[in-house]
Amino acid sequence: MPNRSVLIWIVLAASLLMTLAVAVSIGSQQLTLFDLDDTQRAIFFDIRLPRVLLAACVGASLAVAGASLQALLRNPLAEPYLLGVSNGAALGTMLAFVFFEQFIFARPLMAFFGAALATFVVYQMARSRAGMNVERLVLSGVIVTTFLSSIIVLLTSLLDAARLRGFTFWLLGDLSQATMNGFYLTLVTAVIGTLVLTSQAKSLNLMMIGERDALDFGVEVGRVRMLVFAMASLLVGSAVAASGSVGYVGLIVPHLVRLAIGSDNRLVVPMSAIAGAIFVMLADTIARVAIAPRELPVGAVTALIGAPVFIYLLNRSGRL
Amino acid sequence: MRKIAILFLICVAFAAACRTGDVRPSSGETRAVTDSLGRTVRLPMRIERAVSLAPSMTEMIFAAGAGDRLVGVTTYCNYPAETASIEKVGDTQSPNLEKILALRPQVVFVSTASQLEAYMETLDEQGIVVYVENSSSLDQVLQGIQLLGSFFDTRDTADRVSSSLNARLAKVRRERVRPSPRVFVQISNEPLFTIGKDSFLSPVIQDAGGYCVTSHIPSAYPKISKETAAAENPDVIILSDSDDNREPNPAFKDSRAVKTGRVYRVNADIISRPGPRLVDALEEIAAKLAESH
Repeated sequence: MPNRSVLIWIVLAASLLMTLAVAVSIGSQQLTLFDLDDTQRAIFFDIRLPRVLLAACVGASLAVAGASLQALLRNPLAEPYLLGVSNGAALGTMLAFVFFEQFIFARPLMAFFGAALATFVVYQMARSRAGMNVERLVLSGVIVTTFLSSIIVLLTSLLDAARLRGFTFWLLGDLSQATMNGFYLTLVTAVIGTLVLTSQAKSLNLMMIGERDALDFGVEVGRVRMLVFAMASLLVGSAVAASGSVGYVGLIVPHLVRLAIGSDNRLVVPMSAIAGAIFVMLADTIARVAIAPRELPVGAVTALIGAPVFIYLLNRSGRL
Repeated sequence: MRKIAILFLICVAFAAACRTGDVRPSSGETRAVTDSLGRTVRLPMRIERAVSLAPSMTEMIFAAGAGDRLVGVTTYCNYPAETASIEKVGDTQSPNLEKILALRPQVVFVSTASQLEAYMETLDEQGIVVYVENSSSLDQVLQGIQLLGSFFDTRDTADRVSSSLNARLAKVRRERVRPSPRVFVQISNEPLFTIGKDSFLSPVIQDAGGYCVTSHIPSAYPKISKETAAAENPDVIILSDSDDNREPNPAFKDSRAVKTGRVYRVNADIISRPGPRLVDALEEIAAKLAESH
């Protein structure tokens, strides 16, 4: 249905621009966007704009990671946050903060390794001779998530409380520390991740039928799997290093996209990027203004929307 | 099977020994008092062994002249120097109940209601009284010290300390600078936390002669929007001095406070405890607000 996909692309692009416009025009401070004094200019360009742009990149990264993991694992409930991948990245970021505070790039790098390790462990645990079913994957995710959570709690108890105080807030997903540099870095990884994963979409389509069938069609299944794991870890790692664990984005965004366009990954993966950007920009706008001048963690907003959707999808997959 | 039976018997005997070996604090005479939560508490007439579960509480008990009755404090209790030699019973959030019981206190002093519920029942069963003192302003701290003086029978010291603190407080209040500079208190840099309506520090800033720009925000320590923080454009920024809070947040880079260099650090221990040293914090802040005014 090329016409339908063109229509959806147009709707997505228009929504993205509109959301961007709305997100930068509201905040805890009223700004008249055309006549700014120095303070207002600083508020707009140094605080609000980087935050909105970072929200978009984080949303795109998490949604694309979720979409491709779901395709690869043939599991609708695969999601970076629920699989413990986000927690792996969070632990990596935390270790980087404790041991390599002076190196700016240590955080995203360690977050990447943390995410990759958690992905690998969950994958190994969920595999069984009978293949991978929904329950096994979700259970493995729960185990890895709680295990990593307890290490994080242990670390916060052992280490100097004052230095890690901010982490409890950050763990829930918090975009208030956005800077332009953080945005550029996340933008680069989001673009690379989305392009690489979209390039593998055809193989993922075949693998969704079955890995054996994909092999028959000449798909290098092992290479594709490694590539997806690596790219998903890169996307989740850079998103978490910038904003903590923003949950459920990788779950609900790809599902909404599939509802609209079907399950062709050549469309689902790139469209998830746009839809994810829209979703997190909106969620963060709510986080910024709901109780202004105080702020909510954006992860609380996405979880508030995401948890009910998760339960709905779990029920549906049980019926299948 | 026999081995298991013997083991079981040993356990039972051990448990029984523990029970009978329990040394309960002598009951003796008591007096009924009402604590900060409005609970009626029966305090022993003579308190010889007390445990404090908060640094501010510990400092108040020392100020009241009863520091020598403390047999247990938290790991956060680092003032006055004598606290170093007092047994530690864990931190304020998760005190070690077994350790507290082993110290056989007559009274456990706590500073917040949240600590109370989990420990109240067990302590009660052991005949240990829990007293909640919840000072949330300078005046309440001074009253609290006097009250503690009457509990511990050290009224002379307590009254002397309390009235000297009161005189210092009155002096600062008399000499308030006018017009009040606009003050932002930064509790943590990233994420940006400040003080709100329910913090005991908001009135302290006012007493010191400042106008706290966040004192209308609900809750005690809100995470505040950087946009609002920048728009408030404070004249003075006060940092609660700790490792992660040595510099003003980048959101303040164009503020009057940063441009005129009026950013001050105040020791986090002094500024974060509603105890007698809050008067020190008050004087320090007042002096800084008066600087180059």
